[in-house]
Amino acid sequence: MEEKLKQIIAFVETEIRNIGTAADFEQFKARITGPNGSFTALSKQIASLPVEERPVAGKLINVYKKQLQGIWDATVSRLEREELARKIGPAVDPTLASTDAGNGTRHILVQVREEIVSILRKIGFIVADGPEVESEYFCFDALNTPKDHPARDLQDTYYTAKQTPFGNISRKEDERYLLRTHTSSVQIRTMLEQNPPIRIIAPGRCFRRDTADATHSANFHQIEALYVDKGVTVKDLKADLDYLFRSLLGPDAETRFRPHYFSYTEPSFEVDLKSQHLGKVGSEWMEIMGCGMVDPAVFEEVGYDPEIWTGYAFGLGIERIAMTLYGIDDIRYLYQNDVRLLSQFK
Amino acid sequence: MKVSLEWLSDYVDLGGLGIDEISHALTMVGFEVEGIERAGLQPLENVVVGEILSYIQHPNADRLSVCQVDVGDGDPRSIVCGARNFRENDRVIVALPGAVLPGDFKIKKSKLRGEVSMGMMCSERELGLGDEHAGIAILHDRPELGTPVNDLFPKPDTVFHIEITPNRPDALSHIGIARELAAWFKRDLSYPELRTNYADSPEGRLVASLECREPELCPHYRGYSIRGVAIQPSPDWLKRRLTAIGLRPINNVVDITNFVLHETGQPLHAFDVAKVRGNRIDVRRAGDGESIVNLDERKRILNSDNLVIADGERALAVAGVMGSVDAEVDHATRDIFLESAYFNPVSIRKTSKQLQLSTDSSYRFERGVDPKGAEYAALRCIDMILDIAGGELLGPPLVTGEPPMVEREIDLSPGWVRQRIGFEISDEDMVRSLAALELTVTKAENPAGEPCFRVDIPSFRGDLYRPIDLVEEVIRLYGSDRIPEGTVKASVTLREDDPVPVYERQAAALLIGKGFQEAVHYSFRSEADVKRWHGDIPLDQVALENPLASDASHLRTSLVPGLLDCLKLNQARHNNVERLFESGRVFREFDGNVHEIFSVGFVIVQDGPGKWRQPAKPDYYTAAGIAGDLLEQAGISINRWDIRPIAASPAWQSGHAAEVGIPGNGYHAEFGLLDLEMTREWDLDSPVLAGSIHFLPEFLKRPRLRHYYKPFSLLPPAIRDLAIVVPRSIPSGEVERVLRDIASSRCSDQMILESVEIFDIYTGTGIPEGHVSIACKLIFRNLERTLNDKEVNEVFQLIQNDLDQKDGMQVRR
Repeated sequence: MEEKLKQIIAFVETEIRNIGTAADFEQFKARITGPNGSFTALSKQIASLPVEERPVAGKLINVYKKQLQGIWDATVSRLEREELARKIGPAVDPTLASTDAGNGTRHILVQVREEIVSILRKIGFIVADGPEVESEYFCFDALNTPKDHPARDLQDTYYTAKQTPFGNISRKEDERYLLRTHTSSVQIRTMLEQNPPIRIIAPGRCFRRDTADATHSANFHQIEALYVDKGVTVKDLKADLDYLFRSLLGPDAETRFRPHYFSYTEPSFEVDLKSQHLGKVGSEWMEIMGCGMVDPAVFEEVGYDPEIWTGYAFGLGIERIAMTLYGIDDIRYLYQNDVRLLSQFK
Repeated sequence: MKVSLEWLSDYVDLGGLGIDEISHALTMVGFEVEGIERAGLQPLENVVVGEILSYIQHPNADRLSVCQVDVGDGDPRSIVCGARNFRENDRVIVALPGAVLPGDFKIKKSKLRGEVSMGMMCSERELGLGDEHAGIAILHDRPELGTPVNDLFPKPDTVFHIEITPNRPDALSHIGIARELAAWFKRDLSYPELRTNYADSPEGRLVASLECREPELCPHYRGYSIRGVAIQPSPDWLKRRLTAIGLRPINNVVDITNFVLHETGQPLHAFDVAKVRGNRIDVRRAGDGESIVNLDERKRILNSDNLVIADGERALAVAGVMGSVDAEVDHATRDIFLESAYFNPVSIRKTSKQLQLSTDSSYRFERGVDPKGAEYAALRCIDMILDIAGGELLGPPLVTGEPPMVEREIDLSPGWVRQRIGFEISDEDMVRSLAALELTVTKAENPAGEPCFRVDIPSFRGDLYRPIDLVEEVIRLYGSDRIPEGTVKASVTLREDDPVPVYERQAAALLIGKGFQEAVHYSFRSEADVKRWHGDIPLDQVALENPLASDASHLRTSLVPGLLDCLKLNQARHNNVERLFESGRVFREFDGNVHEIFSVGFVIVQDGPGKWRQPAKPDYYTAAGIAGDLLEQAGISINRWDIRPIAASPAWQSGHAAEVGIPGNGYHAEFGLLDLEMTREWDLDSPVLAGSIHFLPEFLKRPRLRHYYKPFSLLPPAIRDLAIVVPRSIPSGEVERVLRDIASSRCSDQMILESVEIFDIYTGTGIPEGHVSIACKLIFRNLERTLNDKEVNEVFQLIQNDLDQKDGMQVRR
């Protein structure tokens, strides 16, 4: 009997390797341990053995039954494994590119804007917003621009053709609508809306009637900053700008103030920048922005007492900073949106 | 503006200072140096006086001569020359081998067509002296042979190109700049001394009367009579001054008026008395249509906004802008009427702009000349005319009006100055700085009885009228590059970032995560482009009054056309791009007004590039899903049944695009497939999906309420599926809305309808033509107990019955 059992096991061990599906396995298993299976038939023979041989034979059967069960279990899990493996397919080529859309990138102008915003937020500036279409009052009058100043000319500033009111842009009276030439108009809207102290930055799009070339664009972006409090000084203005440029360019960045003229600040300065980080261009002073102490006439216009409140304002051209930081030599590239530029600044 | 260093040195001693130091000084006092130019003969080595002893025709070249030239070393040398304007024994300028002429032109011993040439004879242009290049320079005064060329000419001059800010008209002259440099370098400033006194002049006038009819436009006018001048070319020194700053010498009298303009900043004009008709000068408005031919020989038509200087018959000058050829000083002029006046800056500016004629004179008048400067400049000019052109002054002058009163006093507290600047500048330094600028400072008491400086402001500094203006003067002369470094004083203002930029950041983060590249486009589009988007509706509301170009004549009404441009550009450049977005302002008309709208736009190329394995193709539902996410980010949850198909729009493909929201209520979104014709017009290979989301900025600023917690059941749900057959004309969102309404109304407080979800859409066998079967899953729960089948089945049955009652809806059983 043992001989026969051994034969069955040997047969099973050989054949089971060729079993590839659960159905084949069930069929094969039935041939061995099913009601008409060879092993079942053999174990039934115990009944026909002499009584004294039965316990030994029974033990023997049990040993082989366990062995078979082991084979069955192993096969079931092998088949399950094989089934799962079939489901997940063959091994991947791990070096092939994903076909899913990867992350996009923010535009370099926006990245620079956000970087400056986050630097200034750390020292208490919050982001204010204002309209791109402005009225002449907010863009010029309230900023102390003389009535006949050339900046107001059709030559330099865009006006809307039909001066119908903008439903969501307030005017002082019925002055003209124009496209703002600087973000300084947000200073006025903010000061008219709230009392000092104020620390705001206003990033946004501005417009000047310039023909596009490598350094001019009819659209451009600025970040305006306004700080109004008691005892704000020229030294504070310098300190905050030094902080800004050192945060952007590293501790060796230096600024230099030069006297200049803006109608809404007094005194006014242009700021020159020098930084090793900028390589060759950074070894000489380069003009980077304008700033100054808020002119008392502006405070009077918005109803602040200039004897109590002092403040500073500055305006940065984002294009200029971005082009300087990244060495981009043509402003038009920033608006052309070749993806080879867009995706460079991950 | 150009200023000559040599000329400046007439008024301030700049000895011992390098060009760099002077340039730095100009920049630091507020006049940015935009360029530095050298004028005149630069130092040249090995360039000397020589004499042409003889010359012969070059044997191999018709146009060349071979000259024997002596440069005084007793060893005449052979030089080949192409010029024809010389004769034997002419003295000329010879560049010997080793010389380097301007433009890095190195002179070497050479052979020209076989003949040895030991140098070059130079023209003025080759020496950098002028434009003359018709022939070599001939030295008619025969300087000694071998004299270095630099000994023949004055030292070279340096010319600074500087930017003068509009608040500083006083600096639009050499004296004005010299004053600033003198203050900066703490050196003395000296004004040209006046010698002429018309009180000593014989009485008389060459023009009988002067009348100013417009004292508003011309507050002060002085006319001087000078008899018997000799018009000639100016002396070399004067020509040199004018050419250094880019002016063309004309004749002595005209050159002197120009010289004095650039010396003092006061424009002057000389009329030829012989050409004045009616023996009178009138300052009046031009007649409408009156014409004048100016000195630039162009005829201009004037109107009554223009002020003119006229004789008895016609305009002889557009006041303060440019004279007329009719009274031009020319070689025949003998008698002169010299004008020195103060004109209203606004009037000059308007006229200059209207005539599109900006001159050195109009530029100064419109910015504001020294109201008291007219007399000084006139007398300075007369001194020079009498010196250079001869003649005699008759007196007294004809004068109308008075110089406007402009002097003022400002009380300045030094402590207040230090408070404003935030660092220490001593009282003494302040006084020194202000005094150096010719402001008179005396010690006084302010109305509060505190000691202060009383500062007298001279007439030429119209920009100084408040204490804060003097703070700038103090910093300027202290050196704004010396403002000390400080530490940041951070303070909190307890305000949150504006909701628009906050939303913009969130929306961008969402889209970046979905694989969109951000683009930034111009705000202007062409009219055709806006029409293509909106159809043939009136668009003048978003038109610009003064566009620069026809392709940038309107404000954008959507960000999507710019993104299509971007797809087109990148496709043309063979760049792979599938997803783009932009955020920014667009402008749209609704409810009778134009509105500035904050928008987010995105595009998705439907047929992406071939990949090694093709991902699922994006479609309407991709765009709708992203639009929904963007709205949700703004706190708007969209009910699907509120989405409306866009039926007839030029921009969107009918049957594949939809919209939600209403602009007037604060938000609006359009999304789906763009009109296929339109994408073809953009030359795009693939259909494009897009979304255009619009918010009124004030909508984003609305207060956002916190959502309260809604309790949910921890017990097992009861789930029921049903399918509803409806005509295709009923959108599934409508079916869902009806089902939700019915189901909610049939639920008791014992039973909560937790969700309704469409999980299958089926057409085909068993479904009538033109109909669709919509399969929905309903989930019910109770907060406290498990629902039993019986109660659920009862409600479910009622729901099905209710649905059957609805028009066009049939529950499939």
